[in-house]
Amino acid sequence: MENLGALALILAFCLSIYAIAGSIIGKWKNKPFLVLSAERAVYSIWFLVATAVGILIHALVTGDFRLSYVAQNTNHAMPWYYKVAAWWGGQAGSLMLWAFVLSTYSAVVVYQNRRKFREMMPYVVTVLMVVQAFFLMLIAFVISPFNVLMQGKGIVDVGDGRGLNPLLQYWTMIIHPPILYMGYVGFVVPFAFAMASLITKQPGDDWIFTTRRWAIVTWFFQTTGVLLGAGWAYAVLGWGGYWGWDAVENASLLPWLTSTSFLHSVLMQEKKGMMKVWNMVLVSATFFLCIFGTTLTRTGLVSSVHAFAQSPIGVYFFTFLAVGIAATVYLILDRLDYLKSESHMESVISRESSFLFNNLILLASCFSILWGTLFPVISEAVTGEKISVDGPFFNRVNIPIGLFLLFLTGVGPLIAWRRSSIESLKKAFFWPVAVSLALVAGLMISGMRHPYALMSFGLCLFVTATVFGEFFKGAKAIRAKNGMNFIAATVELTHRNTRRYGGYLVHMGVVAMFIGFTGAAFNLDSTVEAAKGDSFKLGRYELKVRDISDSENADYVSRKAAIDIFVGEKQIDTLYPERRFYKASQQGTSEVAIRRQLNEDLYLNFAGANDPKKAVVQAYVFPLVSWIWIGFWILFAGTIVCLTPSKIRMQYARTEVVGIARNYAEIQK
Amino acid sequence: MRKFRNSLLLLVLAAVCLPQTATQLVTPEIRRVGDKLACKCGVCNNTVATCQMLECHYSLPARQKIATLQQQGRSDDTILASFVKESGISALSSPPAEGFNILGYLMPIIGIVAGLGAILLFLKKSKQYRIPATVPPLDNEMLARYKERIDKDMAKLE
Amino acid sequence: MFFAAAVLVTLVILGFTLFIRSKDLPEPVPVSPYHHLEVRKASVYENLRDLQFEYRVGKLSDEDYQRTKLDLQAGLAIVLAEIDKLKQLEGAPAPGGKSKAVAKKSDTKSDTKSDTARVCPHCSAKFEKPLKFCGECGKPMVTEAG
Repeated sequence: MENLGALALILAFCLSIYAIAGSIIGKWKNKPFLVLSAERAVYSIWFLVATAVGILIHALVTGDFRLSYVAQNTNHAMPWYYKVAAWWGGQAGSLMLWAFVLSTYSAVVVYQNRRKFREMMPYVVTVLMVVQAFFLMLIAFVISPFNVLMQGKGIVDVGDGRGLNPLLQYWTMIIHPPILYMGYVGFVVPFAFAMASLITKQPGDDWIFTTRRWAIVTWFFQTTGVLLGAGWAYAVLGWGGYWGWDAVENASLLPWLTSTSFLHSVLMQEKKGMMKVWNMVLVSATFFLCIFGTTLTRTGLVSSVHAFAQSPIGVYFFTFLAVGIAATVYLILDRLDYLKSESHMESVISRESSFLFNNLILLASCFSILWGTLFPVISEAVTGEKISVDGPFFNRVNIPIGLFLLFLTGVGPLIAWRRSSIESLKKAFFWPVAVSLALVAGLMISGMRHPYALMSFGLCLFVTATVFGEFFKGAKAIRAKNGMNFIAATVELTHRNTRRYGGYLVHMGVVAMFIGFTGAAFNLDSTVEAAKGDSFKLGRYELKVRDISDSENADYVSRKAAIDIFVGEKQIDTLYPERRFYKASQQGTSEVAIRRQLNEDLYLNFAGANDPKKAVVQAYVFPLVSWIWIGFWILFAGTIVCLTPSKIRMQYARTEVVGIARNYAEIQK
Repeated sequence: MRKFRNSLLLLVLAAVCLPQTATQLVTPEIRRVGDKLACKCGVCNNTVATCQMLECHYSLPARQKIATLQQQGRSDDTILASFVKESGISALSSPPAEGFNILGYLMPIIGIVAGLGAILLFLKKSKQYRIPATVPPLDNEMLARYKERIDKDMAKLE
Repeated sequence: MFFAAAVLVTLVILGFTLFIRSKDLPEPVPVSPYHHLEVRKASVYENLRDLQFEYRVGKLSDEDYQRTKLDLQAGLAIVLAEIDKLKQLEGAPAPGGKSKAVAKKSDTKSDTKSDTARVCPHCSAKFEKPLKFCGECGKPMVTEAG
């Protein structure tokens, strides 16, 4: 079986090379058969990779412990769904996930466009297949997931494997890697179309219109993937945080920042034919940062909680990155003429310039994070001395950047495209600024002194006010004209331009997240060692240890505390933080107990015990954390709205198409 | 993914350091100093004060050490210096702003300033923008010719 | 067993990839020669619509509205002029003078094909004459591969 899997991968690699050659030669020599054959090769590759994946999953689920990959990542005791998830638990498998997601996307792209873009498609296929060939080469020849364990000349079956880390045995960890990969791999598609458009010098911006949905969907997957990781860290790791500026977390954030920037900047090209070079740069940067993120995770360049051990594939990745970036830069420079703007900025006070600043801010954040992540490596290379660049560095740079971004989120929608006068800005800004200043004043009177928190809350209200203002004014205008009721008018408004109003909803999701992030300024914590009957205070809570009990089952031994929560005299809840020690993996885990509320989470962690009668309990109050997850759902809703087709799109275009049709009709006479 | 051996080591170390646990581990004083020290457990990217990992083999003993030194009346700087002496500059949560490491702090600022400069340049350039000669200059006659069609289409828009 | 499976998979894959009949070649969706201009025009109309709405909502001063509107209309006129110029080049409006593209089209079309080209495959609207694009829904009329 494993031989068939390995053969499938090698065959897929050969086919990807064939597809590259077939596309280029077929386009060059104008041989449609060869082009079609290359497209068929894309489907074949999907079939082959899927076969290899099927064989690997079969081996994982049935426990074929002759395979070293199976032995390293599963054991008999694991439930079947974690065995399937072990597919991406190790290095070779996760690269295979990359290859599989990419082959699926490629097949979808080829099918969707089988009769469209005949000029561009051969090059789209070429770009997709170059990336595909790279990943297939790695898993077919460098680190195959189908290697068997050998002793001398005999194959060994080790009987049982090491299993998956118990910390990773949590539901979000099953879907976090695939969703993140779907986000990262997905950006290959806009990149491929961009490059193909550049190579063939397409008139117009077809690559943008075609890949708009890809970009939004993959952006959403990236967001979801990052937040799933954060949610897992919060609920499982027991350190109470959701973001630690770990190198791999940073690596996952980098392409997200550039793709967010791309989604905004591309509007300028759609509306006015501006910023064509810049959008090419952004889509390429996003793609290469996705590859770079995979590099960081998979090669152990920087130490991290996620990174796999040092491995030989680093060289391949860096070569691929270097060659790819060089080729892209050359192509863009060579085609600068073709990327000329069709229009220009009319005024400094315009939506266009707010987008410019939005781009600057997102990229500044991206750059500072990249810099902070790599600086220890650079500094060590230069000075020879190891240094640490930790959370405080990233926070110092990114908190002000984040606040300024929030400010722009509020400002942008109020400024009209092309030009706005100071007068109309004054009118538009008056109420949002007034209410947010009132909020800040109110918060200061009530005793809040944290400057960033005050700014953040003020800006959150500012953005909310502007977004609601947009919906309210728009709906009012529609109501005045069509006489609908207010809710129907709001729906109508959204339906007319789903991307804009969906985008506003996404902004509201981001605002909710910022509320959650800001809560961190007011975290409380306390670590106590308490015996049964002891009680301690944290914030407004009085916590009383009612009981400490031990238990044991086949998987683990555990010690659990029952802690009653009082506010004043009244008992409001009981939490059961627990400590487990897994027998098979000889590893301890903590089952934290969280009382989730909209205003604050009470978070209890059973940290350990020195004597059997006592428990060391870490207790935290995390204000407003839930708003991060609420923000995600708002963002989700907003994305769905964005993806819904607008109601009256292209109506005006149609009138002219009728005109053309009439022309043709006249000719036929 | 943490290695199995590491986790065992972690447990052993935790077992060694746990008996020292006292009530109210992180006092504001410890936090003040701990914020300037990196947690060097190797898996997190937090400071000694903010590392909240279970049984962390680095931050927990480090907090103990800070507490002990503070009880001896040492100043913050000497405590930090003693950590640096023990395990190099990397004990600090961010490198001291001297020598090459200044670049670490300057680069993000340079980046933002360069970006701002680029935007200003762009704005300035677009102010001087002239419609290129290849596009036929638009006269009122031409606009008038299409005016009717445009108006008709615009009426259909809403 | 392994060899049989391996040979089978390889043969099937190679056959699928390499064996192509001429009827498998897809007929490309016809693209209007003015496609990119159409897109640009659509986006100017979209901008105009937006502008009108934002003006009604009160986001723009009268002066800004008039200036931007004029700008957009000027841009639109340029695009329309370019389209007309292209049409002239193709010889479309000239009576009797068939354009190259159209002439080729009508040569290759058989009579039955012209019949199908009179009924829109998307909205089933009927026309007296074969059209390239539907006069009702605007979608291309000639889409079926056969």
